[in-house]
Amino acid sequence: MLGQGATQDLIEEVREAEGLDEPIYVQYGDYIGGLLRGDLGYSWRSERDVAAMVVERIPATIELAVAATAIAILIAVPLGVISATRRDTPYDYGATLFSLLGISTPNFWLGLMLVLLFGVWYGIPYPTIDVGSGLWIRVEFVDLPTGRREVGLGGAVLTLFRSGSFGDLWLWIKQITLPAVTLGTYFTALITRLTRSGMIDESGKPYVTATRAKGLPGVLVQYKHVLRNTMIPIITVLGLQMGTLMGGAVITETVFNWPGLGLRLISALGVRDWPLMQGIIIFIAVMFVVINIVVDALYTYLDPQVSLE
Amino acid sequence: MISDRVRSNLKRTFRESLLPKLGVTLLTVIVFVALFAPVLATHDPTRTGNFHENGGPYPPPGFDYTTTVSQDGEITEVTVTSTEKHLLGTNTVGQDVYSRALYGARVSLLVSLFGVSLALLLGVPFGLVAGYYGGRIDDGLMRLADIMLAFPALVLALALIGVFGSQPVRVPDPIVAAGLADGMPESIPIPGSVTVVVALVTWVWFARVARGEALSIRNEEYVKAARSFGTADWRILLKHVLPNSFTPIIVLATIQMAIIILIEASLAYLGFSGTTLSWGYEIETGQDVLRTRPWIAMVPGIGIVLAIVSVNLIGDWLRDALDPNIEGSERGA
Repeated sequence: MLGQGATQDLIEEVREAEGLDEPIYVQYGDYIGGLLRGDLGYSWRSERDVAAMVVERIPATIELAVAATAIAILIAVPLGVISATRRDTPYDYGATLFSLLGISTPNFWLGLMLVLLFGVWYGIPYPTIDVGSGLWIRVEFVDLPTGRREVGLGGAVLTLFRSGSFGDLWLWIKQITLPAVTLGTYFTALITRLTRSGMIDESGKPYVTATRAKGLPGVLVQYKHVLRNTMIPIITVLGLQMGTLMGGAVITETVFNWPGLGLRLISALGVRDWPLMQGIIIFIAVMFVVINIVVDALYTYLDPQVSLE
Repeated sequence: MISDRVRSNLKRTFRESLLPKLGVTLLTVIVFVALFAPVLATHDPTRTGNFHENGGPYPPPGFDYTTTVSQDGEITEVTVTSTEKHLLGTNTVGQDVYSRALYGARVSLLVSLFGVSLALLLGVPFGLVAGYYGGRIDDGLMRLADIMLAFPALVLALALIGVFGSQPVRVPDPIVAAGLADGMPESIPIPGSVTVVVALVTWVWFARVARGEALSIRNEEYVKAARSFGTADWRILLKHVLPNSFTPIIVLATIQMAIIILIEASLAYLGFSGTTLSWGYEIETGQDVLRTRPWIAMVPGIGIVLAIVSVNLIGDWLRDALDPNIEGSERGA
């Protein structure tokens, strides 16, 4: 902060101003007190408030996480249903193989291979890699000769309302597709597995036989009863897996240079910006806990037998 | 430790299904490759400078590429072709990709093996004691577990690595020491702090499962009987509680092993591993030249996928055969 030529007086002055002369427990108390008021500290390296640096990166991470989860649910639930209702057919084997590979593939490698496949080999205008960019892969758009333009979902929707142009929305979709697929594959695989095993378990229960005996058509039994009851454990696991999603987002954002919290965390680590790193990690932990509370609340909706005390 | 019922269950599911067989075969091959990497490798994995005469790294078969060289002020286009000497080509600094992939298996397996062992040693005694005694010890453990679980494993690992730094540990190579592989490195660097960090982010799972087991076992008749004889608590824990909670802990260890392989690769990819022999690190070096030299990032990735697939297949087999309702089985890194 002061440089090498600082005088002893100046050093003492700053120590006092920053509270560094206080005992450790007082400093810790100050920090915790600040946390409770939403003050995550100050990043000396960037000379900015950590809270502001965290907040500005939240939208990009949420966009990515929600898109990945949406892709996962949209693909996985039908896949799991097909797999469970057509057991031991080629469909089932295919889905099983896909989910095995999906939970076993590190997402940074998957991201690179998707870029290689779509961007390089097939030349589809998707995010591609800027060769020789040094530490981070940059995302550029082949169809944008002016270079990279980042659009957030909010900005894209605003443009749509203001000028009625779908251009930015389309650009956003193109930008987010590969990162979202990369992040979502693990969850797609996981939910496929859970849906399959859950439906198979549920189908063997007496109430299924009862509804069938009542004369309900098979399709209705499968979707109205079996699938609905299968969703409860899936929602549980999804909530618990939000930690994995956050961890995966850190990696995915690094691969695609996606301007979210994870990318900021990695660069904070790289330059040893401790206050920033600490702030981001605490924020992620709080988000994780909040999401799990929301998931618990969802139970009461899905399963009337459960009530929150 | 393993009852007859469990053993016959294991055998039956192994016989009936193809996937466990595939998993065991695959893992055996990977362990064999990791053990005998110095013998199977064709080149010293750390030796640089294996370049084509035209200057670029050797491609594997099917990846021939063209590059430009300037000779006497004239720029000409030349083709770089694959060679039998380097089965899977060489990387940007001219190291043999095939040999590095073999050594990468070593790093990956050693980290996951040591990491899981350390997590077991930390978590199981802690969990057993907490579950057996209950009360304050138990409350303390469960709160600590809740705090640990509030952080995503990878994020927590990153934070810890940030604090510890990445300290590689050089491990001497017994195969080379025995004189079975000349010209191979006498010791290889293992990411030491990564091993400790993966144990620190996974031990809490073992503690939770061990606690749950101890909680139910402490009320069993045979434990009550042992206590009425005046058997010391530590003896009951060691002779009765530990052996009877063995099965779910083993299943969990398999699942956590796959997660640890993934965390190690991720940390190495992000540049926090401290060893250059890791698969994750190799992918990181390959990504900058992905467009022109794709094999450098492809090969180690296939290694990671195969390793994790094999461990997951075995994990599924054990879980199906032993305990369908184990906690933590569907929670990842």
